[in-house]
Amino acid sequence: MKKVFLLICCLVIGAAPGFTAGEVSTFHAYVDSDVCARLMLGPLTASRMECSKKTYKDGADPVLVRLKDNTVFSVNKEKMVKDHVGNLVAVTGEAKEKAGTIKLQTVMADDASSIPKGDPSRRLLDVTAFKSPASAQTFEKVRHELAMMPYLTDFDFISFTMVDTAIILTGWTVRDTNRDDAFYRAKGVEGVSQVVNNIEILPLGTNDMQIRADARLKLQRTHSTYFWSNGSDIKIVVKNGNIIVLGMVRTQEDADTATIQLNSVSMAFHVFNLLRVVPPTDKKKG
Amino acid sequence: MFNSYRVLLIIGRFSLVVVLLAVVFGCSQKPAETTTPSVKKIPAGSEYSGFLKDYSNLKPNPNPDGISMVYVRDEAQKNLRSYFAIVVDPVEVYIATDADASKVSEDSRKALTNYFQHALIQAVSDAFPPVDHAGPLTLRLRTAIVGVDVGGQVAAGDTPSDAKPFQHALNIGKVGVEMELVDSVTGERIAAGVDRANLGDGAEVGAEHFSKVEKFAAARIAFDDWAGRVRAFLDSAHEITGADADRVDKAYQPYGNDK
Repeated sequence: MKKVFLLICCLVIGAAPGFTAGEVSTFHAYVDSDVCARLMLGPLTASRMECSKKTYKDGADPVLVRLKDNTVFSVNKEKMVKDHVGNLVAVTGEAKEKAGTIKLQTVMADDASSIPKGDPSRRLLDVTAFKSPASAQTFEKVRHELAMMPYLTDFDFISFTMVDTAIILTGWTVRDTNRDDAFYRAKGVEGVSQVVNNIEILPLGTNDMQIRADARLKLQRTHSTYFWSNGSDIKIVVKNGNIIVLGMVRTQEDADTATIQLNSVSMAFHVFNLLRVVPPTDKKKG
Repeated sequence: MFNSYRVLLIIGRFSLVVVLLAVVFGCSQKPAETTTPSVKKIPAGSEYSGFLKDYSNLKPNPNPDGISMVYVRDEAQKNLRSYFAIVVDPVEVYIATDADASKVSEDSRKALTNYFQHALIQAVSDAFPPVDHAGPLTLRLRTAIVGVDVGGQVAAGDTPSDAKPFQHALNIGKVGVEMELVDSVTGERIAAGVDRANLGDGAEVGAEHFSKVEKFAAARIAFDDWAGRVRAFLDSAHEITGADADRVDKAYQPYGNDK
């Protein structure tokens, strides 16, 4: 009887890894924060690295972005990647693409020079390759199309990046229709070859709804010049109790007071202030 | 021992009172949550049904293909753009002034209102996700079908065996739709409309699940079209034009594209 029991145990133990394990792979990745990964997929710019470090410091979770295809993975052991936020790493682990998770085995600091020329992972590193005059024109058309989406609210922020002639849509929306509308608008622009839609639809939980309403009310009182009837310069994204504030303000003081106001919203856990400060003179030049 | 007994007695009585209160309170609350609107009648000589509290600020719609009379609040802090979720209320029915209310059965009213409520939810849901209860940033859509009349008798052979026929069909040939969007928390009106489009000419609702019966296809199409017009009204109210369009365009800068 004991022998039979032991045999069953051996079979179960032996079979378990083969049954549950994902495929172990090694790849080059960028360690991002979950906030910036949702916002800025695509070329690794200085502003993106700054965003990764800042939001991680403010409490966002670290995630891995596989360089060759921009796939975002949440990790099982944050300790293994936390010191590499804003940098490149070479990782080995069991990656499950559909679930967007990876069970890490090893994480090593990496350098762009270690990635062979011609490797798809290099595409996101050379930012200048994506900025031809033709792509600038296409970029502007896509930007305009997305700006004019009728159902965007103060609680949506849709962003995009261009990789060659492909558009990667990112950001958050409270409406299904915006996700589809953004896709079709971007796809309809001449010169766009492919659209990857990574826009996340936000849940409409009672707490998040209350946080949205309170956050907007507070900012409408203190930052009224940035809100008008058909839109606003400031966008308030709320997800699972966290507030991400985006958009443009004219002074650093306005950005800082926005954080203070939003920190006083009841039931909100974290405030990630990603407001860009654009003084009026700079705005005119732009 | 005596003290313990008294304490137990007091706790027992207190529990009984709490249970009784809960039962009484629960019973008294339940009907309020599950109110089913019954059929009402358009007052004689009146242009409107009285479903909307105020008709005075309705203006003719500049779009001739849209809802006939509309109102859209345009205050900076409280307009349609301030909301993005919706509670779709059960649809109310107003029968024509000269219609015989006794011939409108509860089953036929339900068949008509359930279908239209479902059609409305379908029409608006991707723009205004439907939610179950009132809350912040949530609109309440109140709608009434106005001018329903009693139709002819439904013959037994007119419907398939799985669609229970009504004794009298409901005629929606001269029906209009009145609707308003209110703040679900405060009840303040945000938008309203009265639609006179005669989409159901000759259409009747004569059985449960009428939408699946070919004979009543015209009614299904009419309800779908009315729901579509409510959505079109919302779409047009969200269009960005003129100086606002310039400002919206300038304000939008995606992230992650600067070096």
